[in-house]
Amino acid sequence: MPSEFNYLANIGRIVPELVICLTMVAAIFLEVTYKRKETDRPMIFYSSILGLFITGILLILALSNPSVLVFTSSFVVDPFSSFAKLTMVLGTLGTIFVADASKELSSGVKTEFTILALGVLAGGMLLTSAHNMLVLYIGIEMLSIPSYAMAFLKKHDAHSSEAGLKYALYGGVASGLMLFGMSHLFGVTGTINFLEMAQALEVKEISLAVLIPSFLFFFAGLGYKIACVPFHMWAPDVYEGSPTPVTAFFAIVPKVAGLAALLRVTHIFFSREAGALDHSWALLLQIVAVLTMTVGNVSAIGQQSVKRMLAYSSISHVGFMLLGIISLGPEGTASILFYGFVYLFMTLTAFGITVLVGDHYGSDHFERFKGLIFRYPLLTILMGITMFSLAGIPPFAGFAAKFNVIAAVVAKKYYVLAAFALLNSVVSLYYYLKIVKFMVFHTAESDEPMEGGSFRRNLGLTLAALPIVVFGIFWSKLHALIQSASLWVGP
Amino acid sequence: MRGQLLLNGILWLPILGALGLLFVPGEKKNVIRYMALGTTLGTFLLSILLYLVFDPSVAGIQFAYKVPWIEQFSIFYSIGVDGISLPMVLLTALLFVLCVLSSWTMERSLKAYFSLFLMLEGSVFGVFLALDFFLFYVYWEVMLLPMFFLIGVWGGENKEYAAVKFFLYTFFGSVLMLVGIVALYYASGQGAESFDMVALGGGKFEELRLDIFGMDVSFSKLFFVFMFIGFAIKVPVFPFHTWLPHAHVQAPTAVSVVLAGVLLKMGTYGFLRIAFPMFPGASVYFADAIAWLGLINIIYGALCAMAQHDVKRLVAYSSVSHMGFVMVGMAAMSLQGMNGAVLQMFNHGTSTAMMFLLIGIIYERAHHRMIVKADGSRGFGGLSTVMPRYAVVFIIGMFASMGLPGLSGFISEALIFLGIYEKYPEITVLALLGLLLGAAYLLWMFKRMFFGSVLEECKAYPDMNKREILYMIPLCVAVIVFGLHPAPILNMMRASVGELTALLSRF
Repeated sequence: MPSEFNYLANIGRIVPELVICLTMVAAIFLEVTYKRKETDRPMIFYSSILGLFITGILLILALSNPSVLVFTSSFVVDPFSSFAKLTMVLGTLGTIFVADASKELSSGVKTEFTILALGVLAGGMLLTSAHNMLVLYIGIEMLSIPSYAMAFLKKHDAHSSEAGLKYALYGGVASGLMLFGMSHLFGVTGTINFLEMAQALEVKEISLAVLIPSFLFFFAGLGYKIACVPFHMWAPDVYEGSPTPVTAFFAIVPKVAGLAALLRVTHIFFSREAGALDHSWALLLQIVAVLTMTVGNVSAIGQQSVKRMLAYSSISHVGFMLLGIISLGPEGTASILFYGFVYLFMTLTAFGITVLVGDHYGSDHFERFKGLIFRYPLLTILMGITMFSLAGIPPFAGFAAKFNVIAAVVAKKYYVLAAFALLNSVVSLYYYLKIVKFMVFHTAESDEPMEGGSFRRNLGLTLAALPIVVFGIFWSKLHALIQSASLWVGP
Repeated sequence: MRGQLLLNGILWLPILGALGLLFVPGEKKNVIRYMALGTTLGTFLLSILLYLVFDPSVAGIQFAYKVPWIEQFSIFYSIGVDGISLPMVLLTALLFVLCVLSSWTMERSLKAYFSLFLMLEGSVFGVFLALDFFLFYVYWEVMLLPMFFLIGVWGGENKEYAAVKFFLYTFFGSVLMLVGIVALYYASGQGAESFDMVALGGGKFEELRLDIFGMDVSFSKLFFVFMFIGFAIKVPVFPFHTWLPHAHVQAPTAVSVVLAGVLLKMGTYGFLRIAFPMFPGASVYFADAIAWLGLINIIYGALCAMAQHDVKRLVAYSSVSHMGFVMVGMAAMSLQGMNGAVLQMFNHGTSTAMMFLLIGIIYERAHHRMIVKADGSRGFGGLSTVMPRYAVVFIIGMFASMGLPGLSGFISEALIFLGIYEKYPEITVLALLGLLLGAAYLLWMFKRMFFGSVLEECKAYPDMNKREILYMIPLCVAVIVFGLHPAPILNMMRASVGELTALLSRF
């Protein structure tokens, strides 16, 4: 991998990140200068959209560039990270629209949502490209701190405050553990650069008794961000307490960033597939993946609130994605990127609809979805498609995503693991069907058409759901693109 | 080229019809009905044309049509037809026409109903025509969606439970199959992996061993079991049958007809198209188990049918029993047994469709289906006096289903018995007992419904009207004609079945 030492050229490599930071600064500036004037909110909204849009285009253009290490090998720009960033940018863009439509957030808070989301996004982008321990840690913290504030956004709501506090406390502990693990690794290898560390681990004879705990602690930090078992305890409360658009955001951006970082670290440190450490790492990830899936699914079954159900199911989806890491190779990486990309649209649609229904009826319990087909057919059809897709029923994109992961796992002969993962999606089908059942089979007390739908919202939700159908049937091209991007993840 | 066009037409015409229906305003009910009828009739005509251009002397796939779909995994949109799938295609095309006719008086959300119905037809054709394993799986699953809504929205009192159970059960089987599909793909050759169902066949995987948690497992046996569960749920083979009575009883008439007439056959078709050719060694190894499970199906289904008070439940359990014959016939792996099994798939499709349609007719009049009501009184009585035409058709359907000589069920059951006697004499004897039980529950049902004094409430029932007679005629003709002259169907499948049994006999 070529390293560039020209700082000006280096800065040229991180233009997407810079654009996001500038957008955030501009949004803060606008927020401060035109204080609380209702007419100025759209300006912040549109400027953020513009910034994200430009970043998205820059990232798409960067997809064909080969990998480059910049800033003294601390930061890597490659198609893999560009694609992960693209997913996060789209996620942020989508949730900003969802937040804009939500009545749960007061209009003053909506600008704060935008600003904080941009901050999290910047952190996530840093995390995805991190190529040494320090940048990784800064990325995690930059991702986390605005997240805590986002959970707080409903300032006068006890649940929201509880969510924020819980998130911050757990996050603090996880960061501490991670830093502890990192310092151990630095101690035994004498460097913080990923590649040099991996080489040092290969050359030096370091006892597993030291390495395994250090990696475990290190993993804690990332595991916390993607909410995998046993670091998932915070997730349900935070997801429920946070305003729904924030929950949607949490289900996408931090998870994609965390998974991308995990993929990078795993591939740099454990791609030799030989040593005892690699085996214990693979075993650890298998156990974590299986537990995450199962715990998320089993907890989702009993939920009464659609938002909580979606939140728990997002835990189980991360478990499914983790399977892709186990297979250690470009196929597995591609399957995760694909899954994340598709999951983004499913999450946006599902949460977008939940926000609409929740705002209209004052709660998002299953009961409120009763007979929705008679009141708002479009919403019902989109939600139905999303639910089937989340469960992995063809011809929707969720199936293609699950198929890719299963293919990567089976290619490495983990048959039992594959069967177990798919049986988990049978369990998940139960609660996804529950929503469809309420929407279509039940009749509501009244058939009055549901208000709150405008042309713009219908269009937005349809656009968010469209990729679920399109990439369910024609995913060849998208997958080819992701596959070529995934080749770059390794050392 | 003509054949390929026909295949694509059969596959996509229903789907196009379903999409076309969405643009018709909901209040124009007759337009919707005639569009649905036109689509299914058109498809039926195409399938007749397919039968005419089909060459029965060829054992392999005909009219294969293959275009790339997802290059990375060498997945193709690949369809074709052979002697095993063609009877199923004809059966499906016929039954859907009749089902549209039988749903003519349906009022509730007509547009959605017919649209889903046509979607179901398209996906069923997809299952029978697909030659790419991935494509097969997609259709296999897509079929669940319209089915779920058809049962759940237009079903009876307990429709939700039935719809969800049906969906979850089948999905459970499907995911195991998916693991098998992907495993086969990777086992099919380094660098030349393929989902081609024909290329995967032939017993290439018999030598392969796997290491599962330190145990040495045969690849083909393990994945045969996975596939078996997937297909067995569909058939349904005891003990995977528990979804069936619920789904049947709650589903509206036309959906029951499709469910019993076509969807159950997808399970046995899966054995013939996938499990047997791809794992012939394992199939022979598990043949005894399949035969005994089939026997349990026959006896258990018949005993359950005998205990039912609801006619529809009774017929649903009789399907379990009749599908047992198919399983037993396949397990014999002899030419006659296999021919009998495929013929039984077709014949059961026509006779059980008759029974469900007839039950639908009486349900429209009585609004119940109980032979014995909950309070112990008779639900029906003396129907033969009130509805003579109905009684005649009912007798034909019942005897066909019972396997009376001269009607279609007899030929296939006789072939099955001939085929299995040599290998499983004890099963043959016990299965004959099942035949006896079949006669018992059907005749007993007939006696209680059609003979005896005429119940007061039954007196007002009108006899079958012209529309009802119209859609019963093709089935009456089919069960009589194919009972006297089964050669057209047997000829169609002879070469393909012969090839399959030849393959199995090598293991």
